[in-house]
Amino acid sequence: MEAGNPLLDDYVLGVAAAAGARERPKVCFLPTASGDADHYVVRFYRHFPASRCESSHVSLFRRDCGTDDLRAHLLDQDLVYVGGGSVICLMGVLRAHGLDVALREAWEAGVVLCGLSAGSLCWFSEAMTGYHGASRPVAGIGLIPASNAVHYDKEPHRRPAYHAAVAGGMPGGYAVEDGAALHFAGEDLARVVSSRPGARAYRVDAVSGEAVELSLATDYLGATPAEEAVLAA
Amino acid sequence: MPDPGARRAGRTPTIFAMGGGGFTMEPGNPALDDYIRSLAPAREPKVCLLPTAGGDSEDQIRRFHAAFDDQLCVATHISLFRLGTRPVPLREHLLGQDVIYVGGGSMINLLALWRAHGFDAILREAWQAGIVLAGLSAGSMCWFEWGVTRSIGRPVPARGLGFLPGSNSVHYDGERERRPVYLEAVAHGDVPPGWGVDDGAGLLFRGTRLAEVVASRPRARAHRVHAVAGEAVEEVIEPRLLKARPHTDPRAPLAVQEMRDLRAARRGHRRG
Repeated sequence: MEAGNPLLDDYVLGVAAAAGARERPKVCFLPTASGDADHYVVRFYRHFPASRCESSHVSLFRRDCGTDDLRAHLLDQDLVYVGGGSVICLMGVLRAHGLDVALREAWEAGVVLCGLSAGSLCWFSEAMTGYHGASRPVAGIGLIPASNAVHYDKEPHRRPAYHAAVAGGMPGGYAVEDGAALHFAGEDLARVVSSRPGARAYRVDAVSGEAVELSLATDYLGATPAEEAVLAA
Repeated sequence: MPDPGARRAGRTPTIFAMGGGGFTMEPGNPALDDYIRSLAPAREPKVCLLPTAGGDSEDQIRRFHAAFDDQLCVATHISLFRLGTRPVPLREHLLGQDVIYVGGGSMINLLALWRAHGFDAILREAWQAGIVLAGLSAGSMCWFEWGVTRSIGRPVPARGLGFLPGSNSVHYDGERERRPVYLEAVAHGDVPPGWGVDDGAGLLFRGTRLAEVVASRPRARAHRVHAVAGEAVEEVIEPRLLKARPHTDPRAPLAVQEMRDLRAARRGHRRG
């Protein structure tokens, strides 16, 4: 949901349409990590309009006026989109409503799960989070047995903090800059895509007590076929 | 650094639990909010809003500051969803308050979010240090062993922090579906006996003892609910009707500002 840049939204809608074999995939937004901020829900419906998908959202703060059977609703989707915000708050609320379990079920059933920031961190076994200025690890749902760090390019302290955490025993994992996205098939990384030409993702692992960072090959989604040919050459 | 709770040593733990009311539900009637401020002995009490149960809704935060900023108090709020961008030293800030005011919303989310941030322990410390804990709706039921919440849709009993023994059901006159669920839960012993509280009424606990019931509206009531031979029995508790604040003097906010300036000047003078 980047302003003026639909490349990642288009990409994930394409993945969901293929997964669900539906031209207009069913997409459900979870704005939980933002505290169900109204403006965020509005933004979702603007970026995922009825012309392109069958969109809905679930507010875990206002369940008195929503669907009763959340699990069934999530399992019925082609794509579940988890918004950004606080990953500590997100995990606390998801668990309180049993959605950590329901989302795992949805994933196992082939529903495409996606999200940014807190909505990316939550799928991994451990999340690096900027918290009170310093970063600290938080347990996610754990579908992907690795750690994740987001907004990797945003603040200079994120890289050394993630490296220190991985060197200090956090499972190795993926660090992702704004505009880059990891596409997993099962637990395996299938592709890295980006909505901005320079956006990168990295694999970070501990090798004899030191963090080692590898840049991952990234496909910029905005390249025209001609540019792609040049890039491939 | 001295323990921020230490200066209140000897104060009685105090909780004020409202069925509904205060700035979010009665924007034209500040009687309950005035009462909450009066519970703090400080002349200019520090009042911190926890809007957690409403997902830190901007609207709830704005209304709180609109209601409290012009009063003689220091009003702040903590947004757990925005700690990443607006960090607050949580324990230190909360233990430095005179009043912690908990807004309404989802009780289940409130407790999950508090636990995720270690607030259950900090709030118990604050309560024991005599910091006034106040709240409405989810922010009322959270202090008891049990409440009746609509956090998952239909009303169901849910566990609270258990600072106060017994159970609590809110919006007792304002929501039709909640009361029968509460009565049945008490009758079957699923939840301990407790209090059903109307919108506009509030229970004041000193320690774990009910000290007073007050109301901002003439017909608001509290109800003691207990089980007798497998049946729920309700006993009405007539509250003390709080006096409405006299028509607001348009000069009052200025007077508050003048007093603050004066104090600031004195503090500055002392430091100099």
